[in-house]
Amino acid sequence: MAFLQMVRHASDNPYLHKDFHGALNFALIYLEMQHGEQAVREYLAEFATQYYAPLNQAIREKGLDPLKDYLERIYALEGGQVEIRRLSDPDALIIQVTVCPAVSYIRQSGQEVSPLFYLTHEVVNECICRETPYRSELIDYEPQTGACVQRFLRRS
Amino acid sequence: MISCTEFIPAYSAYFGYLDKKDGYEGVVAFWEYLSDHFLCNLRDLVIEKGLRGCYEYWSRTLNEEAADFVMTLDEEAGVFTIDMKWCPSKGRLLKLSHMKPYPHYCNHCDVLYRRVLEPLGYQYDIDLSKVDQAQCILTVRRKEQS
Repeated sequence: MAFLQMVRHASDNPYLHKDFHGALNFALIYLEMQHGEQAVREYLAEFATQYYAPLNQAIREKGLDPLKDYLERIYALEGGQVEIRRLSDPDALIIQVTVCPAVSYIRQSGQEVSPLFYLTHEVVNECICRETPYRSELIDYEPQTGACVQRFLRRS
Repeated sequence: MISCTEFIPAYSAYFGYLDKKDGYEGVVAFWEYLSDHFLCNLRDLVIEKGLRGCYEYWSRTLNEEAADFVMTLDEEAGVFTIDMKWCPSKGRLLKLSHMKPYPHYCNHCDVLYRRVLEPLGYQYDIDLSKVDQAQCILTVRRKEQS
């Protein structure tokens, strides 16, 4: 019969709980099952509009640099195979995802990935760009690995 | 991509969205579904190892979530406790100045884990009276065999 005790302070560990990717995926599957795709889009838009409001504001004021900084920070934490690059055109930012850290973690955990998981790029990026001089595109999304190209370009 | 480090605000907003659609009952229905289909790892550990399974389960999750806590397993007394000094989820929500947390956010910890542990023969209690300070106390007791 054991007596065990663990004492931890928040500063003892980095904050990176990848099971949360699975929980979000599960939530999207449930919402689609209950209310359909439109509800998934609506929920993600509501969340992204609120949560990314400071990033949206920074893009309005400073262009694509704050977005690049944000994406570099997030993907550095998460891993995966991702290349983030600016082109000679200063109003373009390309994110080439070869292996998505979220999709690969969910699949490694043995879970089914929501067919709407790509909306976590598409809808979220649209909201991040809303009412800024930029728009987003999601190209060549591959559901098995989450590989895709995300482009941020100046609106014509 | 929504990073796993951004999940908690996304989760809170999800509860709020479901509440608007289906009311609080709809949110609880989601938590019950999540408990039944997503917490198999906790359920399996407790079936195999008893209260020690709780200790193992939360050892991983609370460390990965960078929580501030004291977790105690007293197998002889049949009691497992988590004294959460700063919940990483609620703590982060309270720090967000541009988003309002879902008002019943912390109730998910009551519904999710109670639903796993009570059918396995444990008494589950959670004191949520200090969640405004991101603190709570979770207690799991082995029920005496009659």
